[in-house]
Amino acid sequence: MPLPKHIYQAFEDIVGPENISDDPAVLDSYRYSLAHTAIHVGPFYDTFTPRGLAVLLPGSTEEVQAIVRLCNKYGIKFKASSTFWSAQGYPSDDNTIQLDMRRMDRILEIDEKNMFAVIEPGVIGATLQAEAMKVGLNTHIQGAGCSCSPLASATSYFGSGPSNLFAGSHYENMLGVEWVMPTGEILRTGALGSGCGWFCGEGPGPSLRAIFRGSTGAKGAMGVFTKCAIKLFPWPGPDKLPVEGIIPAYRVSLPNFRAYTLAFPSWKAWTDAVHLIWETGIGYLAHRQFNMFGRDLKFAMIKILTDPNRTLSDLEELLQDPEVQRVTEESRRDFQIVLAGMTPRDLEWQERALDEILARTGGWKVEAMQEPEIHDWALLYLLRLGHKNLNLVYAGGYDGCFGFLGVPDYGAPNVEEVTEFKREWEKRGAIVAAGGDCMMGPIGGQGGGGTCLWENFTCFDPHDRESVEGTYKFFSACTEYGIKRGWGVGMENWNAAAVGPDGRTPPKEVRDKIHLSAPQPSIYRYQYKIRKAFNPNNLGDAYYETLEDD
Amino acid sequence: MPLEDFAGEMDRCSQCSYCKWIPFDQMKSWRFAKNCPSIAYYNFNSYSARGRYAVARSLIRGQIGYTDTLRRIIFTCLTCGSCDVSCKVCRYNLEPLEMVRELKFRAVEDGQGLDAHVAVIESVRKDQNTMSQPRAQRGDWADGLDVPRLPREKAEVVFHAGCRYSYDPALHAAARAAVTLLKNAGIRVGIMGEREMCCGGRIYSMGYRDEFTRLARANFKAWADAGVKTVVTSCADGYHAFKRLYPRLGLQVEVLHTVEFIARLLEEGKIPFRSSVPLTVTYHDPCHLGRQGEPYVPWDGVEKKILNQIIVYEPRRPRYNGAWGVYDPPRAVLRAIPGIELVEMERIREYSWCCGAGGGVREVYPEFSMWTAAERLTEAKATGAEALVSACPWCERNFLDAMDGNGEPVQVCDIVDLVWKATR
Amino acid sequence: MEKKTQLIEILGEEAVLENPPIEESFSLDPTLIPPLRPHFVVKPRNVDEVQKIVLWANQTGTPLVPVSSGPPHFRGDTLPAAPEAVTVDLSGMKRILKVDRRNRLVLIEPGVTYGQLQSELQKHGLRVIMPLLPRSTKSVLAALLEREPPMSPKYHWHVMEPLRSLEVVWGNGDKLYTGSGTFRGEREEDWLEGRVPVLGLGPGQVDYYRIISGAQGTMGIATWASVKCEVFPEVHKLFLVPSATLEPLIDFTYRLLRFRFGDELFILNSTSLATILADRPEHVPSLRDTLPPWVVVVGIAGGQILPRERVQAQESDIRDIAQEFGLQLMPAVPGCRGGDLLKILRQPSGEPYWKIRYKGGMQEIFFLTTLDRTPGYIATMVSAANDYRYPAPDIGVYIQPVHQGVCCHCEFVLPFDRKDGAEIQKTSELFRDASVRLFHQKGYFSRPYGIWAPIVYNADAQTTIALRKVKDIFDPNHVMNPGKLCF
Repeated sequence: MPLPKHIYQAFEDIVGPENISDDPAVLDSYRYSLAHTAIHVGPFYDTFTPRGLAVLLPGSTEEVQAIVRLCNKYGIKFKASSTFWSAQGYPSDDNTIQLDMRRMDRILEIDEKNMFAVIEPGVIGATLQAEAMKVGLNTHIQGAGCSCSPLASATSYFGSGPSNLFAGSHYENMLGVEWVMPTGEILRTGALGSGCGWFCGEGPGPSLRAIFRGSTGAKGAMGVFTKCAIKLFPWPGPDKLPVEGIIPAYRVSLPNFRAYTLAFPSWKAWTDAVHLIWETGIGYLAHRQFNMFGRDLKFAMIKILTDPNRTLSDLEELLQDPEVQRVTEESRRDFQIVLAGMTPRDLEWQERALDEILARTGGWKVEAMQEPEIHDWALLYLLRLGHKNLNLVYAGGYDGCFGFLGVPDYGAPNVEEVTEFKREWEKRGAIVAAGGDCMMGPIGGQGGGGTCLWENFTCFDPHDRESVEGTYKFFSACTEYGIKRGWGVGMENWNAAAVGPDGRTPPKEVRDKIHLSAPQPSIYRYQYKIRKAFNPNNLGDAYYETLEDD
Repeated sequence: MPLEDFAGEMDRCSQCSYCKWIPFDQMKSWRFAKNCPSIAYYNFNSYSARGRYAVARSLIRGQIGYTDTLRRIIFTCLTCGSCDVSCKVCRYNLEPLEMVRELKFRAVEDGQGLDAHVAVIESVRKDQNTMSQPRAQRGDWADGLDVPRLPREKAEVVFHAGCRYSYDPALHAAARAAVTLLKNAGIRVGIMGEREMCCGGRIYSMGYRDEFTRLARANFKAWADAGVKTVVTSCADGYHAFKRLYPRLGLQVEVLHTVEFIARLLEEGKIPFRSSVPLTVTYHDPCHLGRQGEPYVPWDGVEKKILNQIIVYEPRRPRYNGAWGVYDPPRAVLRAIPGIELVEMERIREYSWCCGAGGGVREVYPEFSMWTAAERLTEAKATGAEALVSACPWCERNFLDAMDGNGEPVQVCDIVDLVWKATR
Repeated sequence: MEKKTQLIEILGEEAVLENPPIEESFSLDPTLIPPLRPHFVVKPRNVDEVQKIVLWANQTGTPLVPVSSGPPHFRGDTLPAAPEAVTVDLSGMKRILKVDRRNRLVLIEPGVTYGQLQSELQKHGLRVIMPLLPRSTKSVLAALLEREPPMSPKYHWHVMEPLRSLEVVWGNGDKLYTGSGTFRGEREEDWLEGRVPVLGLGPGQVDYYRIISGAQGTMGIATWASVKCEVFPEVHKLFLVPSATLEPLIDFTYRLLRFRFGDELFILNSTSLATILADRPEHVPSLRDTLPPWVVVVGIAGGQILPRERVQAQESDIRDIAQEFGLQLMPAVPGCRGGDLLKILRQPSGEPYWKIRYKGGMQEIFFLTTLDRTPGYIATMVSAANDYRYPAPDIGVYIQPVHQGVCCHCEFVLPFDRKDGAEIQKTSELFRDASVRLFHQKGYFSRPYGIWAPIVYNADAQTTIALRKVKDIFDPNHVMNPGKLCF
């Protein structure tokens, strides 16, 4: 049912006629395909999230507040998103308006001395980084890349990325927040609420960020975040990246930075090295990044990506190259690390410390990745993290399975087992045959390190029904296997309580079953109480997960 | 390739929004980070490449019908190709620019062409130009120039002025200078004068494929009749049409932009500079000379899958990702001119910001077109340059028109103007 | 009588004390907010007993005041503000449950103190980042829940660090594991398989440990915690960067924060440093006059990988940086040797607690701000002191960058003779007035003890409303320390 005219008019009066639309063409460009990407459920062939009632482009906190108040008055759900790169940002139910936060894209302030920035939801990591670099600072960029919103990552989702170990994850970097609550009041957290500034998001007393941001945020289901201060971190580089190279093989050479791919003789050695890196405190960023292409394909893919004359059509030929095969085998147990020296002595010390760690663990630097054009490409890739569309390079569909979020010893011993499991499924044809181990994840899930995540990339063709349905079968098998092995439900189904095979909120029975099987179902009961207290008209969706069984 | 043939791409679009930004690696500031004028102006997702993929999918599935909004979504695409470049930083099996062209063709075929475009088509049909001007006056820009008039006279090299140069008096000087420079360098270069016909590039990008095909064939025949082997033009739109679109119809001839020719002649020492031109300039890469100015590579192949689900092409398909566009010759020419200091804008080369004139947008959405040009002027002024230089009359005209009410003016000129000055 | 019987039934007779004696006070708490005596003090031994107490409190409507640290207490949060309260004293739950060297994690009960913990951790090659000289009876868990700033900002990834998972009994009697506390690792094979409680955030979409953090016991009782550790340094040096005024030290400190150089990193004025170093109270004034007016304290530590090289490299770099700012990195200054100070800083405070060492009593004023604003607050404090004829040179100043330099803990210590009624009166008035002035100057009282609570909550209505909603969820019957914060 379309939005009644008088309500449409009321919204239009808030944002202006050019910033609202209920035209079907516009609405359809705000539907997300569930045969697609990183939404931790499905995939489901030819399935889309429902059409919203209208799309609005608010331009200010005042407009957002007025919209939310109107929604409360008329009982209309609302869902805000910044960059729309997962089903999480879209309506899950009918009777929902979509807020596109794109117009609120200002970097309001960069406090150089105290190293934080104040941003609106439409600011993306890349532009924040570019501006921060001008004053010798940098921003952490979440794993989905610099095309995404740091505010969204910090307030509403996960926040983990390659620079966790030095920059902190966005969970840790979130300072004061301006929040238009689901009822339309504005809460400013921490020092901001007391009128003292953006520098602290805690207190006074208990921290109210607790109610919207735990391991993940509310994923758009609890009001709208309109401003956020984000802690930055040092950038000992030039104020602009001196990028060279022919597209897509852009690269950068920075004298006080090093990008290494480290490899190890065993997973034990790998985990030993990771621990030593953390406790020694070296590293600007560290990630097992390129393995996402697949253990068997990664080096060949790097050869393609670093050569403007090559395409995916060269892949099979490259895989036959003995040198490519040798490097592929050498890099089996690898990860990438970037060192950045604040001073020449600092870089020297870090290099020596890294060499010492490698000596103690039997690891080495993969020489092929040190070839200057590859090294400089990898360095730029990791610093700017602007190639995350490569997650979908093969055919446009990907999601991750398993996960093993925990200390390195939690996941590493299971790598080969999971690899074999996936390799067997790859033989069936629905997913890309990449070698079973396509596990990607941060070396350090938080500042100072401590955990790893092993997202096993699974690539498929969203246009091919057999591929999509075969991938779904595979993910179901992963969940079953993970539960049987005592690992719990993996990343492939982390959102199963939020969205179902029809692209909509699953029925209560389904959600309750999932929540009751959690290690602590009470966390969802508390989330229900919090939702009742702060979102009494229930104008969000089930991405803020609740269990109501009292 | 009908729109339905893009159904696979519509499903395989990453939905990453890379099409809304210049390649992230190249970003130097918040201010000049965007690449797609239509979404930068209209803001709804539909106005981006990913949005147009979604809209096209709904259209071919019959889930939406034509409305004013849908027409605006379709026809505000400048077909500048910046989305294509950004998408292809990572994706090897999507062609957003081709898809959106096909979307326009579909809209026109479905009778949804815009009135202002229809008027342009009528002008092309009647007078072989897009400017609604009499055909007989097309050659007036060259009055007094002592060069062969084809096909009455023969020449292997023809200078194709194009509709904009032919009928925009403020720009005549650059066209005249181009021809004269070539002639003075010893090149026997002719012009078609009033017999010249529109290249068809503009109307192709408006969605009129059939009319374009008619013009292409007519031009090709006219050149063949005149013994032409090389077509030189100072218009990037024409350059692109001749170099990249005509060969699809099997019509191939050597094509050079004037600036490429001048670069070659400078290397050969055939254009002596006599004066200094003390000017700080910044260079605007026209879309159709830069990222869309790559060499044409014929391809007739098929899509196939390897390793179960990796989409590739057999034989290998040209990428057309802007890597090999004409970026260096104009810069080499500028740097060779004594006195010129070249400073670069942030968005250049394959990730240059469009001038706002293309795709039929200037004709129908003047506010949007002027806003786009004004954005570029702001970017040019931010470099501190005294002049914004380009190699396309459509870019130059749009910049000139956007100058009013846009703060301090900046000089707008063509590269050829500066070369000419330096030879006096 | 009935309550006593019920409590004894839960805990046993030896764990229940009726009408406990009034605790000696060393701060202005009793003057500012006259306390009420608790009716009982109970000492549970485990989480089951804690849970039973809380459920009982809900049934009987009895206020509970949790406390983990031993006396003396200074901030009033552990003094009941409601009659007939029961103090739940967890200081007897003092086991160190597990040390995991590989994951640099330790599991502790609430009564574990810093002295106890650091000495145990050292055996495993670990240490925890510590606040500046906590008192010897201070509970590690309490300090972490109170968000006491650590001396080492580079490890302070966010304001909750290094606290990780918790076992909590909420005010409604529910038990919950925060973070990855369900991975409690009670079995050895769990630890070996990596099921360890290393995470603090969540679980789910709520950050439970942030609800009990800074809550002054108003939300629940934490009975177990995992804490992140750092490697015990093989080489550890401490340096001092002196200055006659504070301003030159600000940008120097910012540079170190920017580069993440230095481990311990904070600023003291001569009064604070003298109080820390002095053996006897009468030595404080002369030592204060010998010491430079201001110092940055810079520690540099080297762990197990090339420790000497690390310390050498940083020492050289920091020396160069100091020079750039016209300062000097010194191993000693008149009155203080870095090595001696390091020995002191590695442990909790000796007795008497350093802040009361000078005059026997003290009142703290602390709040969060940014480092660049601190000179302005010092000027305000001095001006206020002068207005009340309080001797400004007696005020101890401690400036501690936190959260890797994004913000800064600014602290003033006002010593007073607690046997001198007039001095108590004067210091009280100064304290009240200065607190208001500093608040209006945008000092952020993130930990609103005592009189700060109404100042802060009255200025932030939305936060107050929201916190009360949270309170109603986790402590619906308001048994947990009623009268504190905004409850």
